[in-house]
Amino acid sequence: MKSQAALLRALSHVVLIAFTIVVVYPVVWMVFASLKDRAEILGNIWGPPQAMAFENYTKAWERAQLGFALLNSVIISLATVVLVTLFAALAGYALARFKFRFATVILLIFVLTMQAPVPIIPLYVMLVRLGLTNSYQALILPMVAGGLPLSIFIFQAYFRTVPRELHEAAIVDGCTQLQAFLRIIIPISAPVFATISILQFLGSWNEYFLPLILVRSPELRTLPLAIQVFFYDWGRSEWEQVFAALTIGSLPMIVVYILMQRQFIQGLTSGAVKG
Amino acid sequence: MLQAKDFDRTHLMANSLAARTPTQDVKKRMSRRTLGARLSPYLWVLPALLLYLVFKLVPLIGGVGLSLLRWDGIAEPVFVGLQNFERMFDDEALLPALLHNVQYALGTVAGKMALALLLALLINQSLRGRGIYRTALFMPVVMSFVVVGILWAWLYNNQFGLINNLLRAVGFTTTPDWLGNPRIAMWSLIIVDIWKWYGFHMVIFLAGLQTIPAELYDAALVDGAGRWKQFLNVTLPLLRPVIIVNVTLSLMGALNVFDIPYIMTEGGPANSTNVLALHIYIQSFKFYRLGYGAALSYALFVFVSVIALLQIRFMARGSEGAEG
Repeated sequence: MKSQAALLRALSHVVLIAFTIVVVYPVVWMVFASLKDRAEILGNIWGPPQAMAFENYTKAWERAQLGFALLNSVIISLATVVLVTLFAALAGYALARFKFRFATVILLIFVLTMQAPVPIIPLYVMLVRLGLTNSYQALILPMVAGGLPLSIFIFQAYFRTVPRELHEAAIVDGCTQLQAFLRIIIPISAPVFATISILQFLGSWNEYFLPLILVRSPELRTLPLAIQVFFYDWGRSEWEQVFAALTIGSLPMIVVYILMQRQFIQGLTSGAVKG
Repeated sequence: MLQAKDFDRTHLMANSLAARTPTQDVKKRMSRRTLGARLSPYLWVLPALLLYLVFKLVPLIGGVGLSLLRWDGIAEPVFVGLQNFERMFDDEALLPALLHNVQYALGTVAGKMALALLLALLINQSLRGRGIYRTALFMPVVMSFVVVGILWAWLYNNQFGLINNLLRAVGFTTTPDWLGNPRIAMWSLIIVDIWKWYGFHMVIFLAGLQTIPAELYDAALVDGAGRWKQFLNVTLPLLRPVIIVNVTLSLMGALNVFDIPYIMTEGGPANSTNVLALHIYIQSFKFYRLGYGAALSYALFVFVSVIALLQIRFMARGSEGAEG
């Protein structure tokens, strides 16, 4: 009986290690390849790089204009996070706490249309009419609209669990509704704010479809778009540089993920677990 | 509740109505108060609602009008009624694209569910290093489709790719052309999608497994149920809500899939990986048939909604049957 349990445990480890290698090794291989020279890419397929060709990074950085792309991605992702978190928190709190006539209707509008895909062609036409194409707003505002429903839903579900007395005590102490929310409720709600911020940041950071349609000029490309364009232009010849670009595009986020894995896993699965 | 300035205004108004009795005064103040209190929640919701309205709901509704036009984005649009919808029946690329979505959905949902559930069950034991496994297996979720797609295009590369080199190393003399052979290209994409997401579904299964009380397993053990029986009679029924969530998420993802086929194969070779979202993209932004593209995207939206509703109803009904 005991040996059977030990065998099962050993077998579990074997399976889990195998699947872990399947996930991790390609990523490690990508980083390895980004530091190889041409001869090594062809000859030293499996192992770590010998050449340590850091010039792959400087060349990819220049050719793919990754400096621009990185800056664009940071600006767009941060702006989206700030707007979604702020607006969704206000709306979510009102829907959870205040009794008003259309509260349920408003929540239903968000929840029912949440899964509808971004109506990209009418959106594109509307942005053209508003003169907003080829600008940061053209990416930020639709991304915010896309992120709001799930964030509002998670916020309101969370705020319903916060004791009503906290808010009422603050009102008795002379706070306005908004002050009570800002000074009392937000400080004790840091985890849900972290959840929403991570969910939204990663969504905007990795978004590919909206920039593909809405961005025309190269200097507005986000990181995923710049990498994909680079792959199209140089992917058939400059392999090592493509790997350098891929590493620049993914390694920072992987490092942040490993440092904050608990918040990441919680944030990214919260939509599914709550919904 | 009222802000200070509203309070002053109420007070002033109350004073101007000097003829009123004190009780009327109080009543007036009360009703003002409730009016202010009634309006203020809408102000909290307003920014979110406004943005959502302008950048999601208006395009969603406005697209209906667009789907009734023939328009290339430059010339004057022509109203064509339902022609764009009728045209779908003559579109020879549409049915193959739909079938590709079905294949993609069957492959990814089955693959993700089987792997994710197996690995969740393994990790749910009191194993050493389970946190490390969880962290590693979840990692591809934080990578963008662009990076994952290009990376896998390389893994699949016939000459230098890891996969065919591995196959050659263990003795295969002929190796498949993973993305170049129309008969297997779709399956190659399905593997990539599974690779990116199975850790995600595993974590959700794991959360579900941890809500199952240990006493139920103890009771099953007393009844003489083996591991397999326990899995069938305790784990699976109690996991049903989580299974429904996981299947719904992966099914809807598969029916709307765009990024992986666009980046890795552009729908090729020989249209073998052309899916509906890609077809809509090509019609709209390569051929500039904006009206037809809009009509197609509504058809896709309705199709996905119907499938998702059917699937949820089917699976939920199954649970009633199991309990009854």
